[in-house]
Amino acid sequence: MRASIKRPPTPDAEEEDEDREPTLEEIINIKLIESGEKERLKELLRERLNECGWKDEMKSLCRSFTRKKGRNNVTVDDLVHLITPKGRAAVPDSVKAELLQRIRSFLHSTAL
Amino acid sequence: MYANQVRNTDCRRIMSAPDDNITSDHTQLASHFFGELLDSVIMDVASECHRIARLGLDRNLDDEEEELRLSAEARARIADPSNSEVNSKYVVDIFGQTHPAVAAEIFDCMNCGRSIVAGRFAPHLEKCMGKGRKARVKATRSSTAAAAHNR
Repeated sequence: MRASIKRPPTPDAEEEDEDREPTLEEIINIKLIESGEKERLKELLRERLNECGWKDEMKSLCRSFTRKKGRNNVTVDDLVHLITPKGRAAVPDSVKAELLQRIRSFLHSTAL
Repeated sequence: MYANQVRNTDCRRIMSAPDDNITSDHTQLASHFFGELLDSVIMDVASECHRIARLGLDRNLDDEEEELRLSAEARARIADPSNSEVNSKYVVDIFGQTHPAVAAEIFDCMNCGRSIVAGRFAPHLEKCMGKGRKARVKATRSSTAAAAHNR
């Protein structure tokens, strides 16, 4: 006998989620995106990280990993796992401070 | 921490709390969003590097292997004293000094920061800065879009 091809029942949990109130983070995230500030912040971060050579550092890490593993065996996952801890640690304090300050001003200006 | 319990009234209550609370909330939130932005940038960089790796846009990794091998060979040749005696190109200069066939000094390339033997510096620079004869393949998104064929 063939196995049943009946479609599994739609999980009820999905309906519950829509009734859930948005968290503060979600509210602010939406404000960030809708105002365009999130995109601007990301561009600013990208620019600063480029200027200070952070991106070059990460690319160089990726290159040496690729050389060892073989360029056709590398996955995006490999590279993400490779540079995430080092990337987070290597952000210059001044860059982090600048971004945090910008974000805080945004929070201040929209939350009140 | 705020999950499932924040309603408009709660928002207003939090916002009108004493300044200290607002500042620490803001700091936490700011850190959270910074983290999100950073992870997003990291993702982009990983993606770009993956693309470069798979499409072979980085100067040929095989070339690099070859270069490292030749550089090591050059270093070995210099270190080996027996070479100096046999070398027929040996010339004595006006100070009575003799120079080995391969320039021995090892220094750091100012472009990529690698340790390079002086005798192999020219070929290294060729590849490091873009090939002298072969057309250079730039590994950036914008230039591949613009297509080198526009030249």
